[in-house]
Amino acid sequence: MINKLAIENVSKSFGNVAVLHDVSFVVRGGEFLSVLGPSGCGKTTLLRILIGLETPDSGKIFKDDADITTLPASMRKMGMVFQNYALFENMTALRNVEYALLKSSALKNSYNRATAREKAEEMLEIVGLEKFFDSKPSQLSGGQQQRVAIARTLALNPDIILFDEPMSALDVDMRLSLRAEIKELAKKFRTTMIYITHDQEEAFAMSDRIAIMNAGKIHQIDTPHNIIESPADEFVENFVIKNINIKINSLIHFQRKS
Amino acid sequence: MKSNHLKILLCLLWLFMIVLPLLRMLSTMAGLNLFEVMTARKFSRAFWQSLNVSSVATFISVSVAGVLSWAVARTNVKHKQLISTLIIVPMLIPSISHGMGLIIIFGANGVVSKIFGLTGGIYGFWGIVFGSVMYSFPVAYLMLYDILRYEDGTPYEAAEVIGLGAIDRFFAITLPYLRKPLISVIFATFTMIITDYGVPLMIGGKYITLPVMMYQDVIGMLDFGKGSAIGVVLLIPAAVACVLDMVSRDSNRLSFVGKPHAIKDNHARDLVAKVIIFAVIVAIFVPIVAFSVIAFIKKYPVNMAMSFAHAARAFEIGALKYLANSLIIAVAVSLLGTALALFNAYMTARAKTKLSYFLHLMSIVSLAVPGIVLGLSYVMFFKGSMIYGGLVILLVVNITHFFASPYLMAYNTFSKLNENLESVGLIMGISRLSVVRDVILPQSKQTIVKMMSYFFINSMMTISAVSFLSNTFNKPLSLMIPQFEGQMQIECAAFVSLVILGANVMMKILEDFSLKLTR
Repeated sequence: MINKLAIENVSKSFGNVAVLHDVSFVVRGGEFLSVLGPSGCGKTTLLRILIGLETPDSGKIFKDDADITTLPASMRKMGMVFQNYALFENMTALRNVEYALLKSSALKNSYNRATAREKAEEMLEIVGLEKFFDSKPSQLSGGQQQRVAIARTLALNPDIILFDEPMSALDVDMRLSLRAEIKELAKKFRTTMIYITHDQEEAFAMSDRIAIMNAGKIHQIDTPHNIIESPADEFVENFVIKNINIKINSLIHFQRKS
Repeated sequence: MKSNHLKILLCLLWLFMIVLPLLRMLSTMAGLNLFEVMTARKFSRAFWQSLNVSSVATFISVSVAGVLSWAVARTNVKHKQLISTLIIVPMLIPSISHGMGLIIIFGANGVVSKIFGLTGGIYGFWGIVFGSVMYSFPVAYLMLYDILRYEDGTPYEAAEVIGLGAIDRFFAITLPYLRKPLISVIFATFTMIITDYGVPLMIGGKYITLPVMMYQDVIGMLDFGKGSAIGVVLLIPAAVACVLDMVSRDSNRLSFVGKPHAIKDNHARDLVAKVIIFAVIVAIFVPIVAFSVIAFIKKYPVNMAMSFAHAARAFEIGALKYLANSLIIAVAVSLLGTALALFNAYMTARAKTKLSYFLHLMSIVSLAVPGIVLGLSYVMFFKGSMIYGGLVILLVVNITHFFASPYLMAYNTFSKLNENLESVGLIMGISRLSVVRDVILPQSKQTIVKMMSYFFINSMMTISAVSFLSNTFNKPLSLMIPQFEGQMQIECAAFVSLVILGANVMMKILEDFSLKLTR
């Protein structure tokens, strides 16, 4: 696999607070990479720098070997799914997707009303919302709203999709089904996905590789298997492995009891 | 970067629209022996009279509003929407008209005075008190009604489980909850009353209050220095109210969770509530009916025949032209003020930078500046400028005077919308302008309607800020009321009040209709 994205020595501070220290890693084409860390570790800032909502104080970002550090977000061919969906509440599910297709400067008016509508319908069907074209976001469940957001992002055909804790507002059942669906979409579209989460279980269940982050630094980046087998340091061991064991144990305990 | 340039531009605008005029006013006091002014017998008497009359009026106003809001919010009376609509009718006419209503009923030749043989004791202290209560309690009611309506019901349910009695519940739950918002309601009401000059001008007689004294000093004697000194005193309660309001606004947000109050069945309580509501609504409408009647009667009480003579007289001396002025001003203020408030709120709520907070403060300064003080500072600052003497200056002063409330409405609405909408636009290559036009503004329609209506209604009825800035050319209709009052033509003044009421009722209907349409 080739390197889709390369992050080189990225640092970022807000005022006196250093949020990212000299972060470097690569993302491979087509892989599902999670960035896992406790809240406040800098993962959301990293994501915002990758997509172009923030610029790093120092360091560079390459996509397909081209320097995109200062490229505007809309020209990076990347999409982002937000924790709180960020849908256009005044528009129907279909219109949300259609509007993005018609207005996106990256697509350079390659859609007209009819083709945009067709594409929007297709995208909503892919995420299983064929019955909800005319529903407003307020009439949809959290999981359905996040599906609309995913359809809207996929419609613009990005090379890379970034997810910023997309499921933290959803209940457990919904998380499990959406998890499977996102994995399936990743396979189907062969899109590179970078997934931010603080949920160890989620990261280990979904990812090809996981980057473990704390206090603005990446501690380890490897496959789930390798991380469990050989944690790089004490933090990784404490944050990841113990937590997972606790979760598994409590699950087993809970199942035995009930 | 670009958004910061726009913010600097807006800050500059506020600098010219409010900060510099106020400083200009303060500067006239430089050559003045302030101590002498403040200790002058006339001033200190007006000061204490203002304080007395405003305290008593505030106490009655907030009490009436409190009981009334309890009667509507905490009982099972029907038609709550209609009741609230009727209660705010007094907010649609100038305060001066309320004074007039009282004179028609209780004045020397008043309806009630004649029947009971009273000798017109309404002029002075009690006249001001009741007139002030009339126009201020609906405002206090709206605030208290909201507070009671959104109070968390769970502590009461807990209290019931424990077995606390009604009195204990009141002192343990209701009072602590109400304390902070109540203080800000009291101060807001007090400020409204002490800075008003419509009622005391109409009904105060020899009982001179500070705003009336200021009006006389400036209009009658052209003594700007003394006027400014009074203006500064009037800034104090408003500034305190403004700060209190900001403090309680922030702390209130936390308590807006939990579930609404459950209202139990209790017929005796509902009956009491009905009686209270009925009595208040009658008290609201009697003066309004009184001046409606008097406007169309030949000469009360001598000749009770119906007549359009007063209306004709009002038109003779230019009512139509002044109505046109008023409508032009009100519509322009409504459109431009709303546009400016939306733009301003977008910059502070959705394009946050370090400058946003400063701009936010600049935008709500007007909350602390009473209309007459603003008007006086405008006279001094803009005299000799291009816009002085025309409609434009009235437009500008009204936008500034009424800016804070609609601005805060927009600010709150914009703050509640999803914070990532602009980021989505950036990522997808949808321009900010498109996001604002197609996503943000459509979701704010209801707020926009309310903002426009607020600007319109207040511009139609204001007599405070505009009074120093008007001449025979640009005068709005509302200023014919003090003019007619000065000429002892109360019937004509009543007619003008009715016209303003009519225009504002129309606006309210339009607002309700638009709100239903955009729901």
